Amino acid sequence: MSAGAARGSDLRRAQWRGVGALAERESLRVLRLWKQTLVPQILVAVLFIVVFGIALGGRINEIGGVPYEQFIVPGLVLMGVVTAGFANNGTSIYQARSDGFIEDPVSSPMTPAQLLAGYLSGGVLRAALIGVGIMVAARAFVAYPIENVAITAVALAAAAVAFTSLGTVVGLYARGWEHQNFVGNIVIQPLVFLGGVFYSVDDLSEPWRTLTRFDPIYYMVETTRRGMLGSSETSLGLSMGVTLGLAVVMLAWADVSLRRGVGIRT
Amino acid sequence: MSAAGAERAPALRCTNVEKRFGAITALAGLSLEVPEGSFFGLLGPNGAGKTTLIRGAVGLTRLSGGSIEVFGLPVSGPTAARTRTMLGYAPQEVALDRFVPVREALVLHGRYFGLSRRDAAERSDEMLDVFDLADRADSYANELSGGMRRRLHLARALVHRPRLVIFDEPTAGVDIELRQDLWQYIRRLHADGTTILLTTHYLEEAEALCERVAFIRGGVIAAEGTPPGLREQFGAGRLEEVYLRLVGR
Repeated sequence: MSAGAARGSDLRRAQWRGVGALAERESLRVLRLWKQTLVPQILVAVLFIVVFGIALGGRINEIGGVPYEQFIVPGLVLMGVVTAGFANNGTSIYQARSDGFIEDPVSSPMTPAQLLAGYLSGGVLRAALIGVGIMVAARAFVAYPIENVAITAVALAAAAVAFTSLGTVVGLYARGWEHQNFVGNIVIQPLVFLGGVFYSVDDLSEPWRTLTRFDPIYYMVETTRRGMLGSSETSLGLSMGVTLGLAVVMLAWADVSLRRGVGIRT
Repeated sequence: MSAAGAERAPALRCTNVEKRFGAITALAGLSLEVPEGSFFGLLGPNGAGKTTLIRGAVGLTRLSGGSIEVFGLPVSGPTAARTRTMLGYAPQEVALDRFVPVREALVLHGRYFGLSRRDAAERSDEMLDVFDLADRADSYANELSGGMRRRLHLARALVHRPRLVIFDEPTAGVDIELRQDLWQYIRRLHADGTTILLTTHYLEEAEALCERVAFIRGGVIAAEGTPPGLREQFGAGRLEEVYLRLVGR
């Protein structure tokens, strides 16, 4: 790439080099800021395991035949993945917009879909590291199984893509840090906590039981639980369908937002 | 546009460009050509539409009407990506990535615009030398002085060897010494064959640097020509007098 206009395969190669650079930049940001991007969420999950699983879990024998301290692990892993993916891209993209340096990649030859691929890389990496980190840390306290690695991996990957994409959308639309915090604290956090991470939905009374079934995160928790523990309250087809469907919808929303130039083109 | 046609085309061609922000018209049918290899100044008061036009050229503003071409290729539609490989843009506000060191910021920019990792690294080292930043290669942007940040901002726009470089108010708010340094960098770049489009509030800057200038007012080109030609046309001793006559003072 230099003096002339790149054509055909040269242009495509140039564009993918850009994607590689953006993905590297986003990933390095996660790794360099590890004290902010990785440690706190793993620590929070461990504290939940210690407090709810070990300290208070003795008062709850089993849920659906699963020891309580095992029951909460899949939900905590998913919670870490979801909040990490959302927070990463919401913060990184809003920061780049706020400081103005997002114009550097946005004015490059990369297409909107390629920009999205680059930006998702950092969020998905952070979500993956946190998911694995929580699993490893949880092992120190709870002997949980992973019955089906493929289902577990697909569920967590889909959750990471869904909420990294949502973070991208919020990062593009946000007009201030408070907008991003609002979505994170007032929308996502309650959906996660009410998504059956700590309890069985069958134990809830109405209308909470029915309302929970409208919470998409409930199905992500269920899919992850099926993968890790081998049992869940909903059918695998339904929970996996909602999990993958949400990932597709969020990805499409982020793609459309970038194509329309929301927050980055006037 | 054929390849041969593209070779003959001006570096930048704006045809009846319109841009409206709600009820506000920023560009009202502006037409302009910046010849290849020229040093072109775009002058005008705040709010005249200079930055809007530039942002339209680099794809950061969507036009309401008209068209912009870079070396004969439309900047929107299927050829948008190709035009961006030929464009370098240094916005008015210095906007640097605070999470990566200076050298890495340049390398990343080069790679965003299609350079290989090795080429981007070599070119970044070259830019660090040209802009006297080599000894701060490992510093982060927030550790640099204002002048260094400005130099890094300009260097970044040049890493991918663009054929047309657009500097939006590159010397706004900088001291005389740095302004002289920046003029020297930009002159050297032009001498190497790069087309330069410069916007500035400093008319003496335009007079010192530009081969051709255009005054933009109310979203259209109010006058265009060489500095001597415009002075003669308006019976003025300096471009500042030309400007004052155009704005009716």
